[in-house]
Amino acid sequence: MKQLDTPKVTRAPALPLVWVVPLLALAIGGWMILREYLNHGPEITIEFASAPGVVPGKTMMEYKGVTVGEVQKVELEKDLKNVLVTVRLNTEAAALACEGTQIWIVHPEFGLSGVSGLDTLVTGAYLAILPGTGPSAKGFKGIDQPPPPLHTDLGRAYFLQSNKLGGITAGSPVKYRDIKVGEVEASQLSDDSTQVVIRVRVYTPYVELVRANAQFWNAGGISVKVGLLGAQINTTSLESILAGGVAFAIPDGEPAPLAQEGTHFALHEDAPKDWATWQPKISGHSPESSPPPSVRKDQIPFLH
Amino acid sequence: MKFLVSDSKPENLSLSAALALAAAIMLVPANFLPVLYTQNGGSIRTDTIFSGIVGLCQAGWWILGVIVFIASILIPLLKLVGLGYLLIAARRGSGAHARPLTRLYVVLNVIGRWSMLDVFLVTFLSGIVQFGVLADAEPRSGIAAFAAAVVLTVLATEAFDPRLLWRQSAATTLNTSVS
Repeated sequence: MKQLDTPKVTRAPALPLVWVVPLLALAIGGWMILREYLNHGPEITIEFASAPGVVPGKTMMEYKGVTVGEVQKVELEKDLKNVLVTVRLNTEAAALACEGTQIWIVHPEFGLSGVSGLDTLVTGAYLAILPGTGPSAKGFKGIDQPPPPLHTDLGRAYFLQSNKLGGITAGSPVKYRDIKVGEVEASQLSDDSTQVVIRVRVYTPYVELVRANAQFWNAGGISVKVGLLGAQINTTSLESILAGGVAFAIPDGEPAPLAQEGTHFALHEDAPKDWATWQPKISGHSPESSPPPSVRKDQIPFLH
Repeated sequence: MKFLVSDSKPENLSLSAALALAAAIMLVPANFLPVLYTQNGGSIRTDTIFSGIVGLCQAGWWILGVIVFIASILIPLLKLVGLGYLLIAARRGSGAHARPLTRLYVVLNVIGRWSMLDVFLVTFLSGIVQFGVLADAEPRSGIAAFAAAVVLTVLATEAFDPRLLWRQSAATTLNTSVS
């Protein structure tokens, strides 16, 4: 009879290999929760006078057309005067929340000078945000109106002073020889309330036209003159009748130096006499027709 | 000629216990993380398992809500608790109540597969509802954790050897033989 080999006795390892499985589960589960937690940026609260169409868990916050946060809750303040909206920002958008940040609610708007926020017809209202430059902050006061667009890279802004607004609204055209070269951005009363200050922006290709001696006048509406020899009706375009408008011209002779950004001009009630016969020669590359502000000069092929 | 002689039962117990522990760990992200993202005509929501059940009940589908609650929260939890109880009983090795405990094991082995209901629901919705702007559904990470928890529970139950419930410790055997 053959003798059996002596058995080889091995001790079971103190911690069997299977316990790697729960350790792995702990690592993966922990990582999943951590990732979800890290993706949650700061929570900010915004105070609105009213918040129609803002729904918790549904309404988004958008910046440059990208979703950067979600409304968590909407609640009334204790004194019932304001609404507090709490928004959780995404991590990568945390830097948007700083002092001076402006937040407003975007609804569809139908105006004479255009339709805006049309996408909100389908998706519902959303919160728009325009970041400020101060240190980071948590609480904000919402604004009722969207702030005027700041196309700092698109042309130059000038201020016009007038005794009355005269039908000029944001979006009204600014014209040179009846070609649209810019638009009205905003208007407000002057500091001492004696005048109206209108901010206009002239698009980049036309900035050369605005000289220090430019004459601005209100070109909106219709002017009707009835005299012995008949009636005369003056207007520039249908848009100007409905939305108002501003026109300017440069007096004859050697053109004055270029007007700096933010120059103040007087806005006259009527066009200066014979402005159409003024022939100041201003060289510049003007596109064939007035482009929308988003079209840059270098994108128009026939300029070269 | 070589023989591998091993008292294999304790390893079996630890395999089952390890899998059960892993399942219990995965249940945490499964229940706290969102499992489904849905977008319907611009209204966007991300649901955890529980918020989905609340949503179903609020929408008036409360029978459906109860079914999902039982399948996705109650059964996985009860199954793990039951398995834990069996593991402790087997480790003590008293051999007491072996018959009802074995019956419990059979029940646990049968009911677990139900729990994949939520996983099927999410994969089904994500596959079918793809209408771009109008309606869209996407799975979220929680459902992976949930599926992992269910599969680990099934494996832990399979790895458990019910014969261990009948094993009597030396002391118990001695006592019974004396009496």
